[in-house]
Amino acid sequence: MDFTLLMWALVNGVMIGSIYGLIALGWVLIYKCSGVLNLAMGELTLIGAYLCLTIYTFLVGIDFPFPFVGALILTLMASVVLGFLTERIFLDRLIGEPVLTIIMVTVGLMFVFRGLVGLIWSTDTRIFDPPVFSMDVYEVGGIIIEQVYLWSFTAAISLWVIFYLFFKYTRWGLSMQATADDEMAALSVGISARFVYSAAWIIAFMTAAVGGTFLGVKNGLNISIGELSLLVLPAVVLGGLNSIPGAIVGGIAIGVLQELSGFLLDPYFPGGVKDTAPYVFMIIFLLFKPYGLWGWVRIERV
Amino acid sequence: MSDTILKINNIEVKYHEVILVLKGVSIEIPRSGIVALLGANGAGKSTTLKSISGLLKHEDGAVTDGNIEFEGQRIDRKSAEEISRMGIVQVIEGRRVFEHLTVEENIKVGGHRRQKGFSVKDGLERVYHYFPRLKEKRNEVAGFVSGGEQQMTVVGRALMTLPKLILLDEPSMGLAPMLIHEIFNIITLLNKEQGISILLVEQNAKLALNVSPYAYVMENGRIVMDDTSETLRENPDIKDFYLGMTDIGSRKSFREIKHYKRRKRWLS
Ligand SMILES: Nc1ncnc2c1ncn2[C@@H]1O[C@H](COP(=O)(O)OP(=O)(O)OP(=O)(O)O)[C@@H](O)[C@H]1O
Ligand SMILES: [Mg+2]
Repeated sequence: MDFTLLMWALVNGVMIGSIYGLIALGWVLIYKCSGVLNLAMGELTLIGAYLCLTIYTFLVGIDFPFPFVGALILTLMASVVLGFLTERIFLDRLIGEPVLTIIMVTVGLMFVFRGLVGLIWSTDTRIFDPPVFSMDVYEVGGIIIEQVYLWSFTAAISLWVIFYLFFKYTRWGLSMQATADDEMAALSVGISARFVYSAAWIIAFMTAAVGGTFLGVKNGLNISIGELSLLVLPAVVLGGLNSIPGAIVGGIAIGVLQELSGFLLDPYFPGGVKDTAPYVFMIIFLLFKPYGLWGWVRIERV
Repeated sequence: MSDTILKINNIEVKYHEVILVLKGVSIEIPRSGIVALLGANGAGKSTTLKSISGLLKHEDGAVTDGNIEFEGQRIDRKSAEEISRMGIVQVIEGRRVFEHLTVEENIKVGGHRRQKGFSVKDGLERVYHYFPRLKEKRNEVAGFVSGGEQQMTVVGRALMTLPKLILLDEPSMGLAPMLIHEIFNIITLLNKEQGISILLVEQNAKLALNVSPYAYVMENGRIVMDDTSETLRENPDIKDFYLGMTDIGSRKSFREIKHYKRRKRWLS
């Protein structure tokens, strides 16, 4: 077996997996804070990605010096507004309703958002034009890394660090962690559940937008980006539904799994292995570890 | 009892619109006073506290009759967040720390709302002044510290909201006698030095009657008796049900069968 190729698959897997991990983080956050499985996460990535593409095209049109960075920042800002509005319009009035009801609402959101995307941006594949990253590749020890992978990885890590600092050092972040741990206790000291839910949706929208954008830059942008980001499901299942580090590690693991299975199994089962492997793995994994690697660790005092 | 900080006027409380739990409860708490609320399992003590703090609404419960006034303002329709902002904090039963945060982070969460003339640093200082043990444990994960330290953590956390009234739900539950003693001393100090009013729910009547000069006794969603602790201590029914069997050792086993919702007819 070609060792360099194997390393190549690994490195690329980690980098693309970091994007899944980023999206998974947003997903887990909503789950942790409000107990809701947000099935519309794929659509959030779509909206974010299309928005970024539109802004990018516009900035290129007016000769803005760093159109992609500018577009990304503006998209993040728009995500704040969109996340806030989504929570306020669709979910706020449902606080206290059975969780299943809310999950069904996220399914509804999924269709609404998908319809909106089709309506505004049509269903043809769009690409970031001119290309965001040059086709030059980096070579490290014989391993070839495309720029888009490297920058995806960088963006994912930067956002993780920002969110880590936010959770660790700001009172809002602390309030969110507290609510995720014990909602009733958090309410008892006057924390606003509304605030926490909005913040969770805002962050989810931000991670989805950045994730979707990089997937779009890499593959071209169409509805399938939404489906690609559903890979966060195996990722979060792997890490444990309510663990933020678990989401990141799970995302990376899924990325690696995808690349490796593409590399190792494609010769024997041509086509599609890359896309199904994570799900097959998820099912097998669930049989053995139904709570994921880090999920639901209740602290038992001795 | 000149100045009343909280007044509950004959409230009726229902869960899920049908389960009637409180059937006409009236309680008055004097400013800077301590009042105890006693009663067996399922009497409705915690429900009374949740009605005051507004947490009731988050369990699909509601005050359907009567009203609650805090410093002359009606609060029974307000949200938990608004009520907390007015200066009421509930320490819910069961030592509910944020398990994955450190002790100090737990306490800081109590100070999440910035108030005039409040700095987190001063707030922490005040908590550590009353609970020096917490200062030693401040960087430990709250899920792993001892039960007594967890109880101190949740009281300290409540203190960070700068409350005028603390609603304490069974702070002695499941703790060793020495610790109970320590915690109750601190609670008394908080009341004396900081002038914080306290409504204390306890099953351990001996203890509660020692720290609070006045007490209410609840049974089946009703107040069945209220008087000064001195008088209550001499009451034969109270003696019989509570003070007779409530040395702390036997109380502990009593707690353990709580889940069977043991209902004892008493005081009748
Ligand atoms: N969320 C709820 N929904 C429905 N019924 C409830 C709810 N919470 C409490 N109850 C019922 O209300 C009654 C009073 O409960 P409450 O918790 O107020 O009692 P308590 O006096 O605090 O008892 P304990 O000493 O066991 O804590 C009980 O019969 C209980 O089953
Ligand atoms: Mg109770």
